[in-house]
Amino acid sequence: MTPLLALENVEVVYHRVATAIQSVSLQVPERGLVALLGTNGAGKTTTLRAISGFLGADDAAIVSGRVVFLGETINGRRPHETARRGLVLVPERDKVFETLTVQENLRALVPGRGREGLDMERVLHYFPVLADRRRQVAGYLSGGERQMLALATALLCRPRVLLVDELSLGLAPIVVESLMDLVRRLRDELGIAVLLVEQNAGAALAIADHGYVMEHGRIVYEGSRERLLAHEDVREFYLGLGGSADRRRYTDVKQYRRRRRWF
Amino acid sequence: MALGGGYFKTTYASDLALVDTRLRRVALAALVAALLVLPRLTSSFVLDLAAQVALAAIGALALNVLTGLAGQISLGHAGFICAGAFTTAALVEYGVRSPWAALAGAAAVGAALGLMVGIPSLRLRGLYLALGTLAMHHVVLYVASELQSRWGANTGYSIPPPRVGALTLRGTVTWYYVLTGLAALTLCFAANLQRSRAGRAWMAIRDREIAAASVGIDVARYKVLAFVCSSMVTSVAGALFAFQRGFVSVEAFGFLVTVEYIAMIIIGGLGSALGAVLGAAFVTLLPYVIDALVAGLKLQAGAEYYLFPAKFGAFGLLMALFLVFEPQGLVGIWRRVRNWFLLWPFRYRPLRSTS
Amino acid sequence: MAQVLATTLVVASLYALLAAGYVLVYRASRVLNLAQGDMLTLGGYLLFAVAANVGGGPVLAIPVAAALAALTGFLIYLVLMRPMAGHPVFAAVLVTVTLGILLRAAIVLVFTDQIRHPAQLLGLGNPPRRLPGGAVVSTFDVLTVLTAAALFAGLFLFLRLSPLGIQMRAAGERALLASQRGIDFHRLFALAWALAALSGALAGILYSSNVRLEPSLDVLGLKAFAVALVGGLDSLGGVIPAAILVALIEVLTVRYGNPLLSDVSPFLCLLAMLLVRPWGLFGTREELERV
Repeated sequence: MTPLLALENVEVVYHRVATAIQSVSLQVPERGLVALLGTNGAGKTTTLRAISGFLGADDAAIVSGRVVFLGETINGRRPHETARRGLVLVPERDKVFETLTVQENLRALVPGRGREGLDMERVLHYFPVLADRRRQVAGYLSGGERQMLALATALLCRPRVLLVDELSLGLAPIVVESLMDLVRRLRDELGIAVLLVEQNAGAALAIADHGYVMEHGRIVYEGSRERLLAHEDVREFYLGLGGSADRRRYTDVKQYRRRRRWF
Repeated sequence: MALGGGYFKTTYASDLALVDTRLRRVALAALVAALLVLPRLTSSFVLDLAAQVALAAIGALALNVLTGLAGQISLGHAGFICAGAFTTAALVEYGVRSPWAALAGAAAVGAALGLMVGIPSLRLRGLYLALGTLAMHHVVLYVASELQSRWGANTGYSIPPPRVGALTLRGTVTWYYVLTGLAALTLCFAANLQRSRAGRAWMAIRDREIAAASVGIDVARYKVLAFVCSSMVTSVAGALFAFQRGFVSVEAFGFLVTVEYIAMIIIGGLGSALGAVLGAAFVTLLPYVIDALVAGLKLQAGAEYYLFPAKFGAFGLLMALFLVFEPQGLVGIWRRVRNWFLLWPFRYRPLRSTS
Repeated sequence: MAQVLATTLVVASLYALLAAGYVLVYRASRVLNLAQGDMLTLGGYLLFAVAANVGGGPVLAIPVAAALAALTGFLIYLVLMRPMAGHPVFAAVLVTVTLGILLRAAIVLVFTDQIRHPAQLLGLGNPPRRLPGGAVVSTFDVLTVLTAAALFAGLFLFLRLSPLGIQMRAAGERALLASQRGIDFHRLFALAWALAALSGALAGILYSSNVRLEPSLDVLGLKAFAVALVGGLDSLGGVIPAAILVALIEVLTVRYGNPLLSDVSPFLCLLAMLLVRPWGLFGTREELERV
């Protein structure tokens, strides 16, 4: 079955000299919930920007490879066109319009051709808090409420695939848990595929089916949730769940322990 | 001494030096010699043009220090020139004719105005600061027009040529030497400022004010200093303008003059002293070039009427073209040409700076 | 007294029409359109050109001139301002200055600097009207006030209630986020520029029919600019009280003070505002940080 969204060997270069990501290939299948893990600077946000078409603003460009959405190559499409086709991004920062009220935020969008049935009633059903705060200026919402507003507006754009950048950033664990749960419900009940970019690997792997791990601009590991959770390096460096007791020297650090990948 | 076309420097002193390679020293000496000998070789029309370029260069260098180096936008440049010119006129009106007094007075008035505009710059930034300077420009012009009408000089106030010791400064050749010499002095001053502590502080403030403050640069002091320095030199240029023309009138200092100077530093290249001089030459000579082109095309008699707005429009158009296509200005073009020669057969594409 | 109030209202309406243009453009592109004064002259000359060359009387000429001006604003954005999107704001402002120079040059080239009276060409008179309280205003004075009121009411409804208006406000605040939400902000910014040109042109049409038309009218634009700043560059609502305030000061200065001073009084208001409360009467403080 063809994936909804696929990256094929994408390479992104900043300012024509600095390679940010290289040979990145990943897929988001229909109804899939895919996690993209990595530390700061691994290239996750660049990947998302390459998908949604925002590279131009930072003087970056896709120099090879392609981004395929619904069977069509969308390299270099203008961002609002990509959004209207059903590929919607919930960004990491600047995710709501702060001078507009919640009600106005929910109307400041152009619904896409992605899928049917996502109207205001249905969306607000998932975010009861927002229904209470309709007239509040969005700049005064708390972090968790802002994230919910960002998700709600993204849903109102009628996405087929939702790209979520750092959902958990700056939020308390209990809020993160409820938001992650919400994302899984969105996938289960509305059938939206989700690509979840996260530093908080534990929270992401709790809901994802499939995951990719990025380091230094490359995908270094991929697999189903179970394989990731069982993998030694992932457990050690992304989940913080202990390591072998006999490691004492720097050569025991993961870069030197990982088997070389030749392709 | 720097090697490799000026790129490879081995001592700190050579890094700081204004003129570093042997080729540059020779070229500079040749230029100075050419400037000294120019009056013998050309007509007084050309000399007058050169004098105009020199005077414009002084103003452009001052504006470059404020806007190019320190990054503070000023839309009130014409106001400072007007202030200097009218200070000279005021001194003459009240009986003081010495040029030294006029220059000192203009510098003082310019500094005071710079202080007045500099202090709001601590709260205001960018566009808002520009507007404050624009408002100041209008206020200065108002004061000047009041003075002009009070002195009964409705079309303008005339100023006798200044006397320096036994020498009366009049005539094209004299003014050519005076203005070119002063322009050269200002160029040295501006180029030196760029490598001085104040210059580095200004460039830091221009690029990232918060970061500059966090490394201990006294942003307030340096911002005010930028305004005061720039406005002092500009006022002095205004005084020189008054003396050279022998005539001051408010109409000569409209907003268009400010736009011309901004065009000079943009077309020349923002942040570069050489750019300011090149831009001053370009903008000052442009109307004459257009005149020559039009004369060469031999249009019909009524065409002169269309010349003025066409010149007006052409210079605006060029500024827009430079802004869009060549943001680094003439200096950028010069550097590309120079790099091509220096680095041949290699090609080096420098990073485009993100700003 | 009543006369002072009436004149203030008329002057304020004129300034408000122009200042609305500054605010609209600023909210959209974060740029000062220093050519707004030339939109006024352009409106006046378009009216003159349409009246002189195409028949049909005022009912045809005025809307056509206004529509042409709006189209010009649209084109200005697409051709000049959109390529400046990545460049620093200062450069974009200078491009507008350049635009103003070019417009002025083109107008003088085509129409010469002779004073014109388009209202006469259209067969429109400007009879004085007596208001309760003893004030005397001309017909076009009344039209100016009514037009300003109508424009502001329309803008308010558009920006607050219509979906396109909300999208425009959103795009003006965060263009990138807006495009992530499917909003084509370039089209909306072009619309903002068209509206700004329209309001400036309306001011020009009214003023040139009321008083006279000549190329140097763009100085009114600078005074209106001071009004926009006093009200708050990002606040459309702030334009109205600011216009009334600045107009009042100017009218009083003309009456009881020096006429030359009245020309500079808007700038003195501006300076005072910049020193005391730079973000204007109704602007938001955060805007200062944005630039």
